[in-house]
Amino acid sequence: MRKKSLLTLAILALMAITAIAINANKEPLYHAQSYVFGTLVDISIYGESDAHASALANQILQDFQQLHHQLHAWKNNLGHQTRQDSASELIRVNTAFSTSHQPVKISPLLTKLLSDAQALSIRSEGLFNPAIGHLISTWGFQQDNFGVSKIDAEQIQALVKANPSMSDISLQNGEVYSKNPWIKLDLGGYAKGYALDLAVQFLRAQQVQHALINIGGNIIAIGQHGSKPWRVGIQHPRQPAAIATLDLHDGWAIGTSGDYQRYFMLDGKRYCHIIDPRTGYPVQHTQAVTVLIPPQPHAGVLSDVASKPIFIETEDKKSHAAELLGITHYMVIDQNANVLITKNMAQKIEWLDEKFKRNAHVKFITP
Amino acid sequence: MSNLLHRSKAIYQQLRIGDWLIITFSLAIIFLLFQTLWTTERATKVQVRLSDKIYGTYSLNQNRDISIQGVIGTSVISIAQGKVRFSKSPCHNQYCVHQGWLVRAGQAAICLPNQVSLELIGENKPYDSLNY
Repeated sequence: MRKKSLLTLAILALMAITAIAINANKEPLYHAQSYVFGTLVDISIYGESDAHASALANQILQDFQQLHHQLHAWKNNLGHQTRQDSASELIRVNTAFSTSHQPVKISPLLTKLLSDAQALSIRSEGLFNPAIGHLISTWGFQQDNFGVSKIDAEQIQALVKANPSMSDISLQNGEVYSKNPWIKLDLGGYAKGYALDLAVQFLRAQQVQHALINIGGNIIAIGQHGSKPWRVGIQHPRQPAAIATLDLHDGWAIGTSGDYQRYFMLDGKRYCHIIDPRTGYPVQHTQAVTVLIPPQPHAGVLSDVASKPIFIETEDKKSHAAELLGITHYMVIDQNANVLITKNMAQKIEWLDEKFKRNAHVKFITP
Repeated sequence: MSNLLHRSKAIYQQLRIGDWLIITFSLAIIFLLFQTLWTTERATKVQVRLSDKIYGTYSLNQNRDISIQGVIGTSVISIAQGKVRFSKSPCHNQYCVHQGWLVRAGQAAICLPNQVSLELIGENKPYDSLNY
């Protein structure tokens, strides 16, 4: 009898040890997901209590929602969102540009964003151009059910000729004025990056040591995932899988522009949302461009903005486009699925794709 | 047969506390090692999210369809022998359906208009977040 009770005791002790071991395996990792900016926002916070992490994540999501309401460039036709979305500050500015030709009073936040976006646009020699909203609408990308059934070549030509450029805008005394009535601002390629920087600023001020924030594919890292760096996968442009992975260290950001994110097919051809402002047509020579941004004050914005000029330029000029914005780590996947990658970017990534692992179809360049 | 039973019963009775401890601890160590070392790339579960909530986590070891009422309509997710996909969606572009079958841990498919997402979960997550 004594033997049996001891045996029971041993088994119970064992179960307790197993339970502790399994519990120790559960990490202090909080994960939240939500839909803002018309895309998926994903926040991971490591090393905080679930309650604290959840409060922080909710605050960030609320701030993002606020930013979205101020900056979105078109009306969302979902019934329950119409009320808040009906007139953002940006839509008011765009309406004023095309109708009144008078300076418009804007908030300090929008003044700052527009002056930053203007500086980046000028630095990129106009390849990053948030003033081509009319072209983007013509191609049907400023709506949820995007795409067109017929290409309006005449209108596209007229819009290219009107040459809307960020340098047509002047910002003075809290007012914005455009000398070109064809300007329609769309901060779709900037706002998510700005939001990343905002979230990092907030989390660092709250003494958070470890977090990873992903807004629609653009990611920025704070600290690391426990004892290991945060690890991110890079989406394969044609398969539902990652093509490579890399460690994203504290303060680094990564962004990709791809022809697979928003596109439509017409007569067997792919038309993506990234439009060359010089031709007015969607870019068709590139599948994806990924940029990796070292720690700096606006790493998030750069991760969002910098992939676009490199995407738009033809292969021989891609390195020039990268240089204009000071980008040294980048990777291009062209229309034939060949890879062009800077040597220092190649050192950072680990291919998952067998073909690229053997460096087949990979061309290395010195930034 | 009864002889065999009788003999094993005899062995059982001869075992002492120490023997039992060794047996149970060995079993425990095997169990723990199995848990930590036995990893496969293939996913075992799928986590389905609707908006900002986890809708459910399902084993991939079954055949079933799951209908989810999303923001704009009903998405249908099919699970079949270790794979999962969006099989029907109310969205305009049908990107989620075109993603096809997902099998490996870490793979994900998202329907932005309907705010439904799938993520495959395995023993080892190959990355924390996906850049796209």
